[in-house]
Amino acid sequence: MAQIEWPWQYGFPPFFTIQPNAETCARQIAAWRALILEYHAVQKQGVLDVREAQRSPLFNNSAINRTLPQEGIVKILEDLARTGNAEPQDKTKTRWFIYWHTLDEWGEIIYAWAQNNGFMNTVCTLYELTAGDNTSEEEFYGLDSEILIKALRTLEQKKKAELIFFDDNQGVKFF
Amino acid sequence: MRRRAGIGAIQKQKLEQEKYRDKGTELQENQFEQMAKQLEVFRTNLEEFATKHKKEIKKNAQFRRQFQEMCASIGVDPLASGKGFWSVLGIGDFYYELSVQIVEVCLATSYKNGGLISLDELRQRLIQARGKSKQHQDITNDDLLNASRKLRIFGNGFSVYPIGKGQYVVQSIPGELTMDHTAVLTQAANSGKAHVSVSMLERELKWETGRAEKALNHMVKEGLAWLDSQDPQEKLYWFPCCFAACINAS
Repeated sequence: MAQIEWPWQYGFPPFFTIQPNAETCARQIAAWRALILEYHAVQKQGVLDVREAQRSPLFNNSAINRTLPQEGIVKILEDLARTGNAEPQDKTKTRWFIYWHTLDEWGEIIYAWAQNNGFMNTVCTLYELTAGDNTSEEEFYGLDSEILIKALRTLEQKKKAELIFFDDNQGVKFF
Repeated sequence: MRRRAGIGAIQKQKLEQEKYRDKGTELQENQFEQMAKQLEVFRTNLEEFATKHKKEIKKNAQFRRQFQEMCASIGVDPLASGKGFWSVLGIGDFYYELSVQIVEVCLATSYKNGGLISLDELRQRLIQARGKSKQHQDITNDDLLNASRKLRIFGNGFSVYPIGKGQYVVQSIPGELTMDHTAVLTQAANSGKAHVSVSMLERELKWETGRAEKALNHMVKEGLAWLDSQDPQEKLYWFPCCFAACINAS
């Protein structure tokens, strides 16, 4: 597992208590946002389940015996959603997609790769994109398939790609 | 003197008194003139001295301090007078430059410490940010105090508070710290733990609960302290400006 470099706040006990002061709280949330995105990017983990989150070292620093409460986690996730960096999977808001790149950014990253590697006007399977030999060095290698499809949909809207579903296979064609 | 009778005697006495008075003022004037002359000579000498050692004053921290002390003892503030010969010397420039840099550091770090920085951290950061030559590196806490005190002219947005054991904090956000608040900071800094609690203030400062709560709540409200509600005993109040990892964080 890749190692993450914890920011200084991670060892600062009150970081795990949502701050009553609005300004301090804004600074706190900004730090949490960066940490959450960084953590998920390093772990290549696209989904966060609020019910299990408190057991993750991300929100639970056992060294100082502090855990971010669930309301705090949701508060930060909602802030991430505001900027397109997170999205609840359903109305219960228990499972969240985490986008360390926004869907638009992911779309552009994948599109740039297709352009640079001569995959225009051909069909690639989604498996090829996230698990194939050609992309093992790419940032989107190992990306959650649901997130991948959402990212490709943004390209579809811009008429830069088309998703193709046939039998059990999923593919995409870039133009 | 034997008292003589008659109106002539009274008049004579009056005359004498007047003479005495005249002589008195004359003497006083003489003395004043002499003092003024002496002071003038001293001023010229001080000017000469300052011009002669201008470079040394700028370069050498210890020398600078002694010069400051000398000026202070005769009631001259080389920083305060923008006009006159002091400005020509450019001694103030050293401090003005430093003041600007202090403001820069305070602004750059306020996102993490809420606008409260210890003088030691300030000095570390300044040394990192300034030029590599000895002249730039050699700044003492005294210099910083002098320079940051000058910033007070911008109103109460900038103040220096002693927090005991020769330590100081510089506050770079509007609002005044009362004695109680600085006492809280002193506790946090000297406990070495970067935090305080109501019971700690009751114990160490012999405060009543209400007083401690009021001070702490105010400091949270001002964004100076962070609340930590996960200690098993009681609420803790943390100060980033005393927290080692925060001080070292870029």
